[in-house]
Amino acid sequence: MNIFIGLINGMISGATPILLAALGGAFTYYAGIFNIAMEGMMLEGAFFAVLGSYYLHSWPLGILCAVVGAMVMALIFILFTVYLKTDEFVTGIALNLFAVGSTTYMLRQIFKVKGAFSDPGIIPIPQIHIPLIEKIPVVGGILSGQNLIVYLTVIAIFVSMYVIFKTRFGLRLRAAGYNAPSLDSSGVKTATMRIWSLVICGVLCGFAGAFLSLGYVTLFSENMTAGRGWISLAAVILVNGNPGGIALISLVFGFTDGVGLFLQKYLPNQFTSMVPYLATLVSLYFYSIQKRKKLI
Amino acid sequence: MSKKFVSGILGILAALILGALIMLFQGYNPITTYGALFSYSLGGLYPLAITLRNSVPLILTGLSASVAFASGPVNLGQPGQLLIGALFATVGGLYLHLPAGFMIPLLLILAMIGGALWSGIAALLRRLFSMDEFITTLMLNMIADFLTYWAISYPFFDQSSYSPMTPQIDKAGWLPEFGNFNSNILIMVIVFVAVWFIFKRLTAGYEWRMTGQNSIFARLGGCKIDKNYVTVMLLTGALAGLAGGLVVMAGPHRFLKGLGANYAWDGVMIAMVANNDLVGTLLYGLFFSSLQSGALGMELITAVPSEFIQVLQSVIVLVVVAGRGVMDVVMDKLQIKRKARERTA
Repeated sequence: MNIFIGLINGMISGATPILLAALGGAFTYYAGIFNIAMEGMMLEGAFFAVLGSYYLHSWPLGILCAVVGAMVMALIFILFTVYLKTDEFVTGIALNLFAVGSTTYMLRQIFKVKGAFSDPGIIPIPQIHIPLIEKIPVVGGILSGQNLIVYLTVIAIFVSMYVIFKTRFGLRLRAAGYNAPSLDSSGVKTATMRIWSLVICGVLCGFAGAFLSLGYVTLFSENMTAGRGWISLAAVILVNGNPGGIALISLVFGFTDGVGLFLQKYLPNQFTSMVPYLATLVSLYFYSIQKRKKLI
Repeated sequence: MSKKFVSGILGILAALILGALIMLFQGYNPITTYGALFSYSLGGLYPLAITLRNSVPLILTGLSASVAFASGPVNLGQPGQLLIGALFATVGGLYLHLPAGFMIPLLLILAMIGGALWSGIAALLRRLFSMDEFITTLMLNMIADFLTYWAISYPFFDQSSYSPMTPQIDKAGWLPEFGNFNSNILIMVIVFVAVWFIFKRLTAGYEWRMTGQNSIFARLGGCKIDKNYVTVMLLTGALAGLAGGLVVMAGPHRFLKGLGANYAWDGVMIAMVANNDLVGTLLYGLFFSSLQSGALGMELITAVPSEFIQVLQSVIVLVVVAGRGVMDVVMDKLQIKRKARERTA
């Protein structure tokens, strides 16, 4: 039973950063932006979360810094793609590499270390224990005691669903991706919608980064996002941006993460670390098979 | 050509000025820093030799990305293909013992096979299941990373070392050096000319370029799109694999952990900043190599961390690419104005 609860909890914490970043990606997906900068935004967020938490001695300020850090990346993306009309793909790739370079650079400049920075002074985001639910056997161990961000993520799923499908903003957002000229001719600027979608994406990636460096672990290491942004991009593409679908697919990826940890007893850890990426390939396979069936 | 050249130079200058501002903000002197950077990469025969040697993997992976992007396939798998190519060359070098004349070409071919195998997986997934190579190559990068890490930690581990690495390959597989200059440059030049010739002068290259610009036009014109797709993927994988093989054979003569971690991504950046132009890739590859080779010297003299170069590179890419777009718009407007004036006159 304990293994089961551990596996579920591993799944949840593995899924959370992917899920948050993918929700951000969903907004940009609907707005018609080919946004591949989630990886960079998340990484920058993870770094600034540690920076804020360490120097300001508070995890809420750490999260705030993470959001600001990811937002700076989003603003650069906006500057180049929306205003200067630079290719989204090129901008995304360059931004991701900029994130790797700049966080490594700052890690050395500010913390004077190479590789990774961990210190008892970094204050992690607390886990939330819900008084009554905590006592329920089995379920209590899953529903209660998760990291604060996990609960925020659950809220974020439903809020994103509501915003994208039930509000005027969401309608305009989807119109920006579906048919930009007609949105423009109706008097709403497509560019504005795209800017908002990127801002939202920045906020969500900031939270994802903060979860990585202040929740999942309490340290920052070079390139610690390790392709999670790419996996979240795959998640967005797989379910065509639907937030509910993103939640499901992220849990699947999170589950493979947990399975990987579990398999470490039997296989060298280099192989178990491959599992999430292999799972992404497998899910892409099923996606394309399904798509082909629809065509026939 | 001249317009491209001007926008490139202007973009690099703008990026260097941005970099100087960042340095000023941090309290470094930008002039001495850039001075140290370029004197350690271009000032003198030895620095020049190092810069040239280091440019080889950059140019080859850049070439791989350029050819792929210009022909359609979004092959982002250079990092993985480089690693697998390097692993193949290393394993060949460990177990084969031939005279250098056979050994070197054989190892180079092995490296190319390794890279092509890895990109071939992505091509196969695309052909069989129409899975987008853009994501599959990225995932294969991560898998290659862990696979090679495992390979150098267990089966090919050097028992006498403390960190994951293989023993040195057979001496016959070491690329000869002429003074300070390593012969990997020669191989790079030969490959560059060959790729340029195929891409610009042969029918195959013409078909690829047409497919990259307009695949419907190419298909209606009678190009075998699917076959070309696979060929391009295999060729670009082989190029990245060759880069990996050359890294091993010219440098440490063994597979170390973290080998070529950045070369391949830099190659992708070089292709982008060069707008997939082959000669541009060569020039930007040399330029990026001079930045990287001078980085350590810069750190030595001015205490600016060498990681700064990574930041500078991505700034260069963004500024040059954005600047090119803005320049195009400005140029078009000027041309329209000029034409309008001619008409009224």
